[in-house]
Amino acid sequence: MLDTTRFNTRRRQRRPGAWLHLKGRHVGAWAFALNRLAGLGLVLYLILHLFVLSLLAKGPRAWDDFVALAKSPLILPLDVILLAGILYHGLNGVRIALIGVGIGVRQHKTMFWTLMVIVAVLLAVGTWGFITV
Amino acid sequence: MVKEGEIIMANYHVVIIGGGGTGAALAHDLALRGVRVTVVERGEVTSGTTGRHHGLLHSGARYAVKDQESAKECIQENMILRKIAPGSFELNDGLFVAITEEDLAYYDDFMEGCAVCGIPTRTLTREEALRLEPNLNPEVKLAVQVPDGTMDAMRLVLRFFATAKHNGAVIKPFTEVISLNMEGKTVTGVHVRDHTTGKEYDIGADIVVNAAGPWAEKIARMAGVDVPVQPSPGVLVAVWGRYNNMVINRLHRSGDGDIIVPQRELSIIGTSSWVVDDPDQLEVPEEHIQLMYEKGAEMIPAIKHAKMRAAWSAARPLIGSRGATTGRELSRTFKCFDHADEGVEGFVTITGGKATTARAMAETTADVVVRKLGLDAPCRTREVVLLPHTAYYT
Amino acid sequence: MTEKNVQFKVFRYKQGDTAPHYDTFTVTVNERTTVLDALEAIRRDQDGTLTFRHSCHHASCGTCGMRVNGKEVLACVTNVMELGTPEVVVEPLQNAPIISDLVVDMGGFYETFSQAHLPLIRESEYLPESDVAEGVPFHMRLESCLECGLCLSACPVVGTDPEYLGPATLAAVWRVVQEPRGEDPEALLAWVDSEQGCWRCHAAMECTEVCPSNVDPGGAIMALRGELTRRKIGHLLGQG
Repeated sequence: MLDTTRFNTRRRQRRPGAWLHLKGRHVGAWAFALNRLAGLGLVLYLILHLFVLSLLAKGPRAWDDFVALAKSPLILPLDVILLAGILYHGLNGVRIALIGVGIGVRQHKTMFWTLMVIVAVLLAVGTWGFITV
Repeated sequence: MVKEGEIIMANYHVVIIGGGGTGAALAHDLALRGVRVTVVERGEVTSGTTGRHHGLLHSGARYAVKDQESAKECIQENMILRKIAPGSFELNDGLFVAITEEDLAYYDDFMEGCAVCGIPTRTLTREEALRLEPNLNPEVKLAVQVPDGTMDAMRLVLRFFATAKHNGAVIKPFTEVISLNMEGKTVTGVHVRDHTTGKEYDIGADIVVNAAGPWAEKIARMAGVDVPVQPSPGVLVAVWGRYNNMVINRLHRSGDGDIIVPQRELSIIGTSSWVVDDPDQLEVPEEHIQLMYEKGAEMIPAIKHAKMRAAWSAARPLIGSRGATTGRELSRTFKCFDHADEGVEGFVTITGGKATTARAMAETTADVVVRKLGLDAPCRTREVVLLPHTAYYT
Repeated sequence: MTEKNVQFKVFRYKQGDTAPHYDTFTVTVNERTTVLDALEAIRRDQDGTLTFRHSCHHASCGTCGMRVNGKEVLACVTNVMELGTPEVVVEPLQNAPIISDLVVDMGGFYETFSQAHLPLIRESEYLPESDVAEGVPFHMRLESCLECGLCLSACPVVGTDPEYLGPATLAAVWRVVQEPRGEDPEALLAWVDSEQGCWRCHAAMECTEVCPSNVDPGGAIMALRGELTRRKIGHLLGQG
């Protein structure tokens, strides 16, 4: 075999960002990457949400200032992104759970596109709700 | 694994040029005899001719009439390989099928030839043949069962390399021989370029063995000698689908497209034959691809519409001087040349042969090599069971 | 036969180089030319130092695995014209140390894979209605896995976690569980029932997507999970 003393190790190097290297990858890898990004986003949102709730402890004026900010039209796109994240992460999570127990393994791509349609529909409904309510 | 008392032999160094089936079996044989071995191969091991064959574990029946020396070699080695490389073969046997009246006329000579060469046969009626292989052409008249099998061309050879390596042999792929080092008319080693580093260096040897297959003549000329090797390519076509579990052969004298070898989920149809000067310039003539489909379909009609996976050619190293027209007239046996007969010391060539007979080629060559080294070391490769192919990498 | 000139942008690296670079070669191709054919032509006519692995030329040995235009393929069955790009980028597989140019070190893979003890020969599921010839115990065939490493290069988890057993090894274990052939499926199931075993997969299914030999490693990993889960539940219920 080739002289392996020329190499430091026969083990693989770690590529921490490998899950984001999507060139040449297919639907499944994109679904995974999106799921992880959405998950990270939701964690950040959770922290933000807890902070906002802590404002309640500071009394009515702090809370009213926040509500006024939340009603601003600049916040709407953020709400849409948040809803998209919740819908995608949740529905793809169901897809992964089904695959994980052996249901729909060969149809995983169809499941992905189906859930994307559902996400789009529910997102549209939700956005309309944000605007009109 | 060099035992006490064998230490003296380990001081002799043999360099083998060519990392194909022959080089692998020879490295294994010499390592078992306690000789220090280095194999140099310009590319990946088996990337020359060996890796490309259709994977037939030959029963020899194809040569039972016209090339009985080769037929006997094949059946003997077939049985030895089953013993030393267990678990490496699809052992479903093979059928020689008669489709036309002309094929039937060949039956008597075929059966006599197989008997003379020691190839076990069993004759089957049309109905029996179709029960074994339902995809056969319904025109089949009869079939003869022989001990053919399928191997993975590269992985069988890797077992020889793995065992040799674990017995101390050094295998150097991507190491190309640029020239032979000589002192007068004695070969003293090889000058190589390591393509993984770009560096050139020398490897000294007591004996250099030329096992370069169809490139054997190119290497031999570096020592100022000639070997009669005629590179003779043939086209093979792999199609998607496994139409037969047994190897299917046409019951006739050698011809194009007269074998279908099942391999995993593919079927390999082979082959054709022509001659070339340069084994690095191999064409894949379109007519030959069509011919494989046509001839294959005469035995298994469904293959006509099978989707192609690959079409390629490989150069057989045939023994014979220039002047052959298609290569089919040359023998498939092998020959070992000790170039001391031509005044060049320290240099031996082994060429010819078939994938199935690599071990026998190695035995003959190793006998010559240890005789030249003045050693008394018998061959043990008929008995020693080979390591699994994964051991080549670990 | 139509002919066309195609540019090949090939990854180059030799031991001792501080960094890799790309060389561009022009090759005349026709409708049958594969990427492997083109690489051989480059090595023969333009640059004899180009190193790449190949052997069988028909998707059986698995050695010519590489990335072509970013996708993991076997070069011997990748048709150049069908790629449809005027420039073809050729790079080595990911997640294995590079030896030189397009050659990677498969030693690390084999150290893990060989522990699955996958026998090379399995029962053939083809033509079940046919009889077996006299003297032949049962119809057999070579296992599908070519050990090509395409799945390992494509898997995002193999990329981030060097300890993960990986799709090829897990698929091999599933094959032994399905058809033991004298090996020990219990020990293997215990081996893959671990953080770095079948539970590490994130169902990206890239392995199944790129496999050239219908191994469906993704499906095998889910089957292993199913088998292990069934046993755990049975165990729990058995105790309840």
